[in-house]
Amino acid sequence: MDLELSDDQFELRDNIRAVLDGACPPAVVRAVYEETGTSDELWAQMTELYWPALGIAESDGGLGMGFVEIALLAEELGRAAVPGPLLAVVSQFIPMLAEAGASGLLAEVATGARVGSLAYAERGRWGPDAVATVAVQDGDGWSLTGRKQAVLGGVHADSFAVVARADSGDLGAFLVARDDLVVVAPEVIDPGLGLADLVLENVSATVLLAPDADVAGSLERVTQQAAVAMALHTVGACRRIFEVTLEYAKVREQYDKVIGSFQALKHRFADMFLSVERANAVGYYAALAIAENDPARAEAAHIAKAAAGDCQRLLVQDGLQLHGGIGYTWENDLHFLLKRAKAGDALCGSRAFHRAALADVLGLVPETAS
Amino acid sequence: MKLRFDESVEAFRSEFLEWLAVNRPPAEEIDADPPRSSAYVPRWAAAFTRRMFDDGWLVPGWPPERGGRNAGAIETLVYLEELNRAGVPRTTNPQGLGIIAPSLFDYGTDEQIEKYAMPLLRGETSACLGMSEPDAGSDLANLKTRAVRDGDNFIINGQKVWTSGANYADFCFLFCRTDPDVPKHQGISIILLPMDTPGVTVRPLTEIVAPDFPDLNEVFLDDVILPVENLVGDLNNGWRMANGSLAHERSMVWLMGVMGMESAMTELLAAAPGLLADLGPQERALAVDEIAGLHIDTVAARCLGYRGFARFVRTGSAPEQSLMKLYSTEARQQLARFAAELLGPDSLRTGTGRHGEAGSLEAYFTTFGTTISAGSSEIQRNIIAERVLGLPRG
Ligand SMILES: Cc1cc2nc3c(=O)[nH]c(=O)nc-3n(C[C@H](O)[C@H](O)[C@H](O)COP(=O)(O)OP(=O)(O)OC[C@H]3O[C@@H](n4cnc5c(N)ncnc54)[C@H](O)[C@@H]3O)c2cc1C
Repeated sequence: MDLELSDDQFELRDNIRAVLDGACPPAVVRAVYEETGTSDELWAQMTELYWPALGIAESDGGLGMGFVEIALLAEELGRAAVPGPLLAVVSQFIPMLAEAGASGLLAEVATGARVGSLAYAERGRWGPDAVATVAVQDGDGWSLTGRKQAVLGGVHADSFAVVARADSGDLGAFLVARDDLVVVAPEVIDPGLGLADLVLENVSATVLLAPDADVAGSLERVTQQAAVAMALHTVGACRRIFEVTLEYAKVREQYDKVIGSFQALKHRFADMFLSVERANAVGYYAALAIAENDPARAEAAHIAKAAAGDCQRLLVQDGLQLHGGIGYTWENDLHFLLKRAKAGDALCGSRAFHRAALADVLGLVPETAS
Repeated sequence: MKLRFDESVEAFRSEFLEWLAVNRPPAEEIDADPPRSSAYVPRWAAAFTRRMFDDGWLVPGWPPERGGRNAGAIETLVYLEELNRAGVPRTTNPQGLGIIAPSLFDYGTDEQIEKYAMPLLRGETSACLGMSEPDAGSDLANLKTRAVRDGDNFIINGQKVWTSGANYADFCFLFCRTDPDVPKHQGISIILLPMDTPGVTVRPLTEIVAPDFPDLNEVFLDDVILPVENLVGDLNNGWRMANGSLAHERSMVWLMGVMGMESAMTELLAAAPGLLADLGPQERALAVDEIAGLHIDTVAARCLGYRGFARFVRTGSAPEQSLMKLYSTEARQQLARFAAELLGPDSLRTGTGRHGEAGSLEAYFTTFGTTISAGSSEIQRNIIAERVLGLPRG
């Protein structure tokens, strides 16, 4: 087992990082927070670079890269607290379209002509049991009714892959156009996520995955990709929090010393570093398991997202605390990263959700309780 | 990134497994005379060491004349994994094989290699590491045991403590102060001390568990006379060599920690359904969550270790060694702690041997050997903060 990035993967990461350093400095994030700007120009740059196409098969008009590369992109997007729909497109919408074999749609997504997201969570819960939105067959098509919550990139999307339940009790996935449903964008602490709630009332939809027993497996594969990408996205934000806090501890002086020379803080830095490395290592292990479709992928995905949850707990806590008063201000850029890291845990299943799911995979939950 | 090894590595694995199947020490012999100290070499262990030496499986990365086969780092990793998985102790004298022999190859004279290192490799002798003293623990450079030059000899006086295996070892890799007038790191030398030299007194220290099998010792040195040819490397260069010696040990110690944790986790998962069945729903939910968390730690330890190892293979250095030491020992300790909590009153039972049975409090207490020795967890955090993260020395 080799868990280090290859030279090509390092190069891809460095390229993405260099682009984002130029195109998405904190000022761009701030503009979105303060509603003095949007992420539109950034999105245009990213589509010019074919970033939405990275993980789409070459036969569908993409660049044919694997899931490890998507994980890299997700991490870099977190590192810069990037606003806009790219994470939703590459880690949620594309995996669903690929699962559905929707070549034509994928070709449109590759060029940026179509922007979509996955509408899965309901009533604050991620997971198949939470899906109450109903799908009813209606002539050649389907009609959907229900409410979806916290759709990533939803305010930017023109299309949604909506997961809904048929009469049979089986889940299916359906494509719905933005104009056919009501998009509600609540005020959230990280406006860069573009979170939206969707209200569907007898909305007409075309089928992506027809409801049957096999859809559960497809959905698992898709939601694993979403969760692992969100895990690394969270870890990306955490690593940046770590770096910024470490830099600060090397220059901020109190009692005539830099604060980083106090052992009480040194040990916290060592623990923060460990937490980031730990979450990063299991994150890429999960990404690799998905890329190679290894039987361990389900277990690894739960581990990755739970470890990212551990990581954000510590890094947000200590990152803010060790900045002192300056970290408590709106003017300082730190809070973009803190908020992104916290949001990362709230989306695609929390730390608790994935620990419980892991326990289930490990056979620790008795039949009756699961 | 790859989940699996190349075919050539798998071929190496198969070759070793075939050899091991034929040559592993018989379980009855191990049970009759189990490993009991860091330097006690039972007859089966000596014979096994000799077979490994002769067939190039003792230290696969070394050349054949030193009991190896010039294998690469990845092959060595696979070799250690398989030995561990088979439950076969690689050596009953880890300090000798892992630290002292390689240090002698790096710094010793040809005569020292012939007389001290080679017999270790052939299973004929064992050795102990005399570094720590009552006033020199984490601050090892503070050691005071004095070696004074007297013609062709050194005369040595002082005391060592926590010397693992000194009660069985044939010789000691002894750290002494040879120049008291320079800064403390610059006046330390290493001298080879045969344990039967007059003036050496060994007093075993009973440990926190398994009092019948003492491994730690105090070593008193009263006017011990040793010839100058027992000096290893250059005079007053001991500190630099110490860092080199310990590096030998650290490059793959993490693997033992990880594999120990994995087997403890496997045992815990096997025992869990039975133990959980007796708990009420709320207590059970708490226990299940702990197990899930510990399982994450276990998988993370392997992922971190493998990644650090891949970096080491590619770049020849892995600054995160300290990170692995810290993580693999602390995580394993937490696993042992919870396993005992889950086991309840049965965890109180003793007599399970030096390393304790899974879930026993003896097993939990034994894990402190790993978080205290070889640079305590606190020292590892200092090292990470200062040497890896570049924070200033306080
Ligand atoms: C099982 C076992 C086997 C051993 N085998 C050997 C052996 O074979 N040969 C040998 O020479 N030695 C051996 N040792 C000794 C071991 O190396 C020392 O115990 C270790 O270096 C710690 O020293 P100490 O016990 O004096 O503790 P101290 O150094 O007195 O430490 C006490 C506490 O203070 C903390 N502390 C100390 N300095 C700092 C600091 N700068 N910052 C923060 N915290 C600090 C420590 O982490 C620890 O928690 C062994 C020890 C054990 C437990």
